[in-house]
Amino acid sequence: MTTHFITAEIDLTETPEPLSKAVEAELQKRGEPLRWAVTQVDEATQTAQVEAVVTADA
Amino acid sequence: MPSIAISKRPYTAVLIVPTGIGAAVGGYAGDALPVARAIAEVVDTLITHPNVLNGAQLYWPMPNALYVEGYGLDQFAAGSWGLSPVHRNRIGLLLDQAIEPDLRWRHLQAADAVRATLGLDLADYVITDEPVGVELRQAPSGATWGTVQRPGTLLRGAEKLLQAGAEAIAVVARFPDETDEVALQNYRQGQGVDPLAGAEAVISHLIVRQFQVPCAHAPALSPLPLDPALSPKSAAEEIGHTFLPCVLAGLSRAPKFVEPTAKTAHTIWADQVDAAIVPASACGGSGVLHFGQNSTQIIAVEENTTTLNVTPELLGINAIRVRSYLAAIGVMAAHKAGVNARALSSHLAPIKPSK
Repeated sequence: MTTHFITAEIDLTETPEPLSKAVEAELQKRGEPLRWAVTQVDEATQTAQVEAVVTADA
Repeated sequence: MPSIAISKRPYTAVLIVPTGIGAAVGGYAGDALPVARAIAEVVDTLITHPNVLNGAQLYWPMPNALYVEGYGLDQFAAGSWGLSPVHRNRIGLLLDQAIEPDLRWRHLQAADAVRATLGLDLADYVITDEPVGVELRQAPSGATWGTVQRPGTLLRGAEKLLQAGAEAIAVVARFPDETDEVALQNYRQGQGVDPLAGAEAVISHLIVRQFQVPCAHAPALSPLPLDPALSPKSAAEEIGHTFLPCVLAGLSRAPKFVEPTAKTAHTIWADQVDAAIVPASACGGSGVLHFGQNSTQIIAVEENTTTLNVTPELLGINAIRVRSYLAAIGVMAAHKAGVNARALSSHLAPIKPSK
C-alpha cells in the first residue's frame, strides 16, 4: 500500500448529488480516499478545490 | 454533570476543529480543550476528536465527552458507523521502529506512568517491523498534510496488537526533527499552521479505516531548547518528554465504532446530533458536509480563523454564524431549552403573515 497527496477540482453546479458524494467519486478515480477536505471555493467559476490523501495498492 | 429529565432526549453536540489548518483556537497544543470543557457542561453528550482533547501531557477527562478519531467521526457523520460507549478499552501501544532507544524508553515510561497512576489497561507493546517513514508537506491552501512511506508496517503492527486483545491503538511515529524552522518558531509562538498535524491525521486514519477501532497518534520528537517566549497556547507540548499521556487517557474510554445492524439503546447515530460547531472558514470537511445534509444545526464560529476560506455560504450549507465559542454555547443552551435565540435579544419584531 502507498499513500499519495493529491488535489482535485469539483464543479459545484454539475450534479445535484451531495458534494461529499461527488468528491468521493472523483477521488476514487485516483485511489482509496483516506482524508480529504474542500480547501478553496471559487465563487465566480463555482468550482471547489479538494486536497486529499488517497491510498493505492503497491 | 448535566441532568436529563426523563421526558427529554439528550442534547448531543459535535465539536470539530480540523487539524493542520492553523485554527486560532485549537491549532496548537490542545488549546481548544477549554472550549470542549465549557460545551460539555451545557450539552448532554459532546462528541469531538483527538485534536481538540489532546494536550500532550495535559487532558481533562469528561464523563459526557466521547473521544472519536477524525476518520471515525467522518464515518459517523455519514451514518455509516455508530458510536458505542465503553467502560474501558485495553490499549495497544504501537511504536515506530525508527524511534531511537532513549526516546523509546521515554514513551515506555509514559505508558507505565499511566498504568500505575491512572490505572489504564495497556497490552504488551509492539514495535513496527519497518520504519514508518513520515513525510510532511504544506498544500497550496496553507493546510499541512503528510504521507507515510510504509503504511503496511503500521497496519501489521496494529493487527498484531488487536489479535493480542487490544481494543484501541495508540501509535507513536518518529517525526522529522528538521522541519521548516520558520514554521516551528511560528508554532511555538502560537501562530501559523502546525507542520506535523496533517501527517498525524493520516496515520490514525489508516488504522481506523482498516480496523474500525479507536486510534490516536502521538509524534515522537527530540526535545526542543528552552524558549522563554513560548506561547501559552503551545506550552503543553513542551513540559514533558512525549505527547503520549493525553492519547492514552483519551483512548482508554473512546467509544467503539459499530455497524448500523448493531443499534442498541446505548449506541449514538448521526441523526441524533443536535448541533455541530465548526470554524466558519473550514466547512469543507467530510464530517461537516454530512452533518450539513441532515437536521443537525451547524454553528459556524467566526473568531476561530484558519488558513482556509471555505464558508458555509460558499458550499450552500445552512448555518448559524456566531462570533465566538461563548456565543455558540449560548445558542446551544437556548436550543436545548427550547427557546428561540432571537427572543434573547433586546428587540423582537412582531410576527408577520406568511407570503
